[in-house]
Amino acid sequence: MNNEASGLPERPAAPDSPQKQILNFLSSMQLGIILLLLLAVISVFATLRPMDEAIANIYTSWWFVGIMSFTALNLLLCTVERIGPLYRQAFRPRLEISFEAVKKMSVSRTVKLKKTAADPLSGAAAVFKANGLSARVVDAPAGQLLFGEKGRLGYFGSVVTHLSLLLILLGAMYGALTGFETQGGGRSGETFFVREGNFHVNIHEVKMEYLDEDGKVRPRAKSNITVTRRGEEIGRQLVSINIPLRFEGVSIYHSTFLWVSQLTITDPQTGESVGPVKLLDGDQYTVQDKNIAISALAFFPDFTMTPEGRPTTRGYKPNRPVLAYRITEGGQQRQWELLELGKPTVVETAAGPLELTLSGFENAAVYSIAKNLGRPYLFIGSMLMLAGMYMSFFLSPRRFYAVFDGKSSTLAVGGRGYRNKLLIEQLMEKIETELQQKEEK
Amino acid sequence: MPVIIEVAPAALFVENLFFRLATVAYLAATIGYLLNLGGKKEWGNFASLSLRIAFVLQTAFLVTRGINVERVPFVGHFEFGNLFIWSTALVYLWTEWRQKERYYAVGAFLLPLLLLYVIYVNLPMVNSAHRPLPPVLRYPLWLNIHVSTSVLGYAGFSLAFALALMWLLRTGLEKTVAQASPFMKTVFKAIPQPKALEDYMYSASAFGFLFQTAMIISGSIWADASWGRYWGWDPKEMWSLITWFVFAVYLHARFTRGWSGSRTVALVMVGWVAMMFTWLGVAWLLSGIHSFG
Repeated sequence: MNNEASGLPERPAAPDSPQKQILNFLSSMQLGIILLLLLAVISVFATLRPMDEAIANIYTSWWFVGIMSFTALNLLLCTVERIGPLYRQAFRPRLEISFEAVKKMSVSRTVKLKKTAADPLSGAAAVFKANGLSARVVDAPAGQLLFGEKGRLGYFGSVVTHLSLLLILLGAMYGALTGFETQGGGRSGETFFVREGNFHVNIHEVKMEYLDEDGKVRPRAKSNITVTRRGEEIGRQLVSINIPLRFEGVSIYHSTFLWVSQLTITDPQTGESVGPVKLLDGDQYTVQDKNIAISALAFFPDFTMTPEGRPTTRGYKPNRPVLAYRITEGGQQRQWELLELGKPTVVETAAGPLELTLSGFENAAVYSIAKNLGRPYLFIGSMLMLAGMYMSFFLSPRRFYAVFDGKSSTLAVGGRGYRNKLLIEQLMEKIETELQQKEEK
Repeated sequence: MPVIIEVAPAALFVENLFFRLATVAYLAATIGYLLNLGGKKEWGNFASLSLRIAFVLQTAFLVTRGINVERVPFVGHFEFGNLFIWSTALVYLWTEWRQKERYYAVGAFLLPLLLLYVIYVNLPMVNSAHRPLPPVLRYPLWLNIHVSTSVLGYAGFSLAFALALMWLLRTGLEKTVAQASPFMKTVFKAIPQPKALEDYMYSASAFGFLFQTAMIISGSIWADASWGRYWGWDPKEMWSLITWFVFAVYLHARFTRGWSGSRTVALVMVGWVAMMFTWLGVAWLLSGIHSFG
């Protein structure tokens, strides 16, 4: 008995509880769309700023992380809320559908049957099966119904995609909270300590692999390293670009290489010599008793001069190694000078002459060291995401229904899709044609 | 330190010949599709054939380019641009093969867009020098997957954008078609119904979105092995993500919220602009670690 029939005034529907309203808001697709657009707009703005500044002030800021977390929460609630209805939709299809209801489906056809009217549904079932649909006849209150479907997994594509995105976000968060990122490096024979991971990295050898004859292509630096903790070896590998050493969730990547100049400083009056002093570009060495400082400005492995008179290198191969250096004496910087490998140069200073020799050079390797325990989750999440998208877009669920009306000798065929109406229309066209062909045979 | 691979004059001639011929064939296909749209139906098959020839010629160009640079021709603006054009033609030809002649009208909107891309890679400012791979890119598995998925994603989005343009013209003409010139009436008739266009647009966007996702994922896995981190907030990475966000909004809005018409068309157009900025804007206006020339 409804209110109208009873003559009572209509009672307004009770509003949802505040908790329910909050939950509805947090799980709404509208909120998800707004948050995604917001993230897009902020990201556009951030890319217009210098990258380091954007990372420090935007991408890692509490409010950006907050929006991301809010988006993740929305995604989670939205997904959880949809699992039940999707399950029912996929596994409990409504099969009590009348002839009229099939005719009214947005994609439907009617076919007049004469020849096959005696057993109309078995003919249609054969056509359904020929088009890849599983077909079964169901006894419904309104009569017999032929039901065919394909791509049931497609209903869960969005759920898998959303959950995979959450797994990726959680993996990234777990990796960030439990991991670290740092840099280290050195020359052949050197060892450095990684405090964050409590291990030593011993660099046995740094060598260069030249990729072309002229040495114009940036070479690939390779280094043999051993990782030890309290004297015990925990990792060993030849590391180079694209080939990191991985252990305990830690990865040691080759990041770049540097040139190290070996400088020998001799006093021509006494014959005393110091060195070889190992200098990276930008390093400075102070000769105490002479009160001078020698700065290594740049190492040129294959030295030449530009037409404008600036030193440069023709390539990476050390065909003509030269060091550009500068002397600072009593706080006064002198003009830069060049020092070629094996060719001593005598420099006059207030405290007497000084002989400088570029006696050698070597390479140093620079490594990025990162611990990321979230990596497996990120990988699984990524693979799941692709699977989810494949399910969403390529396993389009399709359902077809056929009901025969004996009075008009007409078969009504209707089709429904979950996402892809175009596909349903195309399939319907094929089914209709094949039904007609069957009738004409 | 720019390094150029020395290519034999004969090999260079063959490469350039295929490139120029493909350009001409794309131009012929564009003209053919436009004439077909304007009512000269006999030009439809000519356009389709020209496009197939252009595709074959560009395939030949990519093969010769690969031989000349001694690697897959997937690196740098020039090679990427060519691969992108090639994949867009491939995706269009595949859909045309499925949809038959009724799809020719789409060609009349996509091909001018494709021709713009072709003109771009022909510009002198786009460096077409033969360069070897820097060490970081010498990881054929991920290079191939990352670039292939990238161009297929871009292809899907370009097709969706062309369909969005069609939708705009079709709905714009709807109110004025009675007073329109005979030519515009013919054009109007040749363009599919807005609903059908929206369905095509959705399919093209979904295709692009799937490959854009695969591109971001493969890039992350590769970056993790090469640079020690799977995400570095680099402008190229961020603009790929922005494009992904926009198309994610579009797909959700259309499917779950039931958006249709101008709002979804606007989202597809914004998504295409974001994609173009990822390709061109980041390269010319912003700097980052994705600067491979």
